[in-house]
Amino acid sequence: MSLIELKNISAGYAKTPVLKGVNLTIAEGESVMIGGPNGAGKTTLLRVAASLLPYEGELTLAGSDASSMRRRDIASLIALMPQTQDMYFSYTVGQAVMLGRYVRMRRGLAGPTAEDKETVDRVMNDCGVYELKDRLLSELSGGQLQRALLARTFAQQTPVVLLDEPGNNLDVRYRAELTDYMAAWLEGTTDYNGKKIRNTLAGVFHDLGEAARICRRGVFVKDGQIVADMGLQEAFNSKVLNEVYDFDVISYKRAESTFWNS
Amino acid sequence: MENNPGTKTINKTEAGRRAGVILSVIACFVILVICIRAGSVYISLRDLASIVMSHITGGPLPAEVAPMMDSIFWTIRMPRALAAFLVGGCLAVSGAVMQALLQNPLASSYTMGVSSGACLGAAFVLVSGISLPFILPVTSFAAGLLTVVIVLAFTAVIDRMSSNTTVILIGMVFSLFVTGIMNFLATLYSDHYKRLWLWMMGSFSARNWTHVAIVLPVAVICTLVVVFFSRELDIMTFGEEQSKAMGVETKKVKILLIILSSVLTGVSVSIAGVIGFVDLVAPHVVRKLFGPEHRTLIPMSFLYGGAFMALSDLIARTVLSPQEIPIGAVTALIGAPFFAYVFFAGRKKG
Repeated sequence: MSLIELKNISAGYAKTPVLKGVNLTIAEGESVMIGGPNGAGKTTLLRVAASLLPYEGELTLAGSDASSMRRRDIASLIALMPQTQDMYFSYTVGQAVMLGRYVRMRRGLAGPTAEDKETVDRVMNDCGVYELKDRLLSELSGGQLQRALLARTFAQQTPVVLLDEPGNNLDVRYRAELTDYMAAWLEGTTDYNGKKIRNTLAGVFHDLGEAARICRRGVFVKDGQIVADMGLQEAFNSKVLNEVYDFDVISYKRAESTFWNS
Repeated sequence: MENNPGTKTINKTEAGRRAGVILSVIACFVILVICIRAGSVYISLRDLASIVMSHITGGPLPAEVAPMMDSIFWTIRMPRALAAFLVGGCLAVSGAVMQALLQNPLASSYTMGVSSGACLGAAFVLVSGISLPFILPVTSFAAGLLTVVIVLAFTAVIDRMSSNTTVILIGMVFSLFVTGIMNFLATLYSDHYKRLWLWMMGSFSARNWTHVAIVLPVAVICTLVVVFFSRELDIMTFGEEQSKAMGVETKKVKILLIILSSVLTGVSVSIAGVIGFVDLVAPHVVRKLFGPEHRTLIPMSFLYGGAFMALSDLIARTVLSPQEIPIGAVTALIGAPFFAYVFFAGRKKG
């Protein structure tokens, strides 16, 4: 089943179009790296896929027309981790991660259930922020904040997760741990509308090697259009990368790898 | 935002928070009693209690309580203190809501032009000389809401995304514009200047049970609805797009909460005039003490705002007695330095 389907989508900010007639289908169980140069429209693509921006064209999410879906339904299908996060008031890590449970929680004043608490503890543990749960978001380092936001995203418990540069600010150990975590998560399923759906991930990554540990498919965006869509393994040795980035990516990466051999 | 106020928030345990809530409720009750008792006429706690009991049960006044005491305390001081408390509560809740929605710790529904609109409405009634029962509060209330609607409509036309910065800017511009008209009117009709000025600085002088009866249901209903949306408010402090991604119907929730907040401010201004600072100080202090979560922040802001207003009114009517100071001057004189202290003290260490 296709979970996200963009048909001839155009979108942008004010009068500048960013995406120009994009077609993209992401099926259940897929893991997609979104690549491309800075300013190509990768973030806009993720935001439109989660129906967060006005767009022209057709967006279908799990078989329904996105424009007629309630926020609640979209948010039980897709969680999005943004690249930046506004923070004006001092919530603790634990409080913020619990807010990620919003669509799963009982409405109104009812407090979190045992299941909510258990899930929040588990994702905080998985993302390495359990020890930070009583710290204020505003006092965290960039990497710690990134992990807290990841925990909040996974607390939403959706079958589809969209990540905008999840590795930002993370040191090598946490990068590796989160890569493992995401790869393991992709093996599982999540309930959506009473059905078990295989977990599905799409993310903007700048590091191809890191992406390859998680993703099987590579979608490359340039100037608001998808210029390549292929198996990620293929992408490594393809001239496409050099064309996408206007740069000899392959030689650069090969040269880098020689450092490790000695 | 780095210089985020409230970074010193103590992470209370659930038990600690509960104890804080209970202590605050008791403190508010004590403050109300102090505000009712203080003044040129003394009353014992026992006599005050028997006056209140006789009105609640409908029984006769005990013989040892002079009827004059009854009229001073039941007819004048109690409704005045209660009106001040309720208005303070309404303003504080309204401030807390606007701060969350506009993601700005300095926002309030004054930012949206409610008070200046309400003020202008009142000014029109005053200078036109129309006198009908309740025409003044009703007109000012309607004018306040109308201003918010105009501000929101204008924002939607100018900025399709209705970003918070645009809302705040247009609100400020409208506020200043309306205040300009107001000052123009005040100059043109200088014989009404004193009354207009009182309106602009706020007062609880001669407020009676009717005023309490008007504010009470609005305060209770609006605050309860706001509390019901606590979690949405929490999420919306993280930004509109993120709130959508997390499943909040941001547009509907935002409009509903802006209306509730404007109604709270509108009814306050219509009863007491424009009174600043309570809507900033109370939520800010509560965030420091109890953290930012709205299920505690909203009800506690109501109590702290109420207590602050009742105490300010006490000062307003006693310090230069028998003359009264406009209460807006008192809240600003206490509020401004206090706010600066809390804000900057928290920042230096953080």
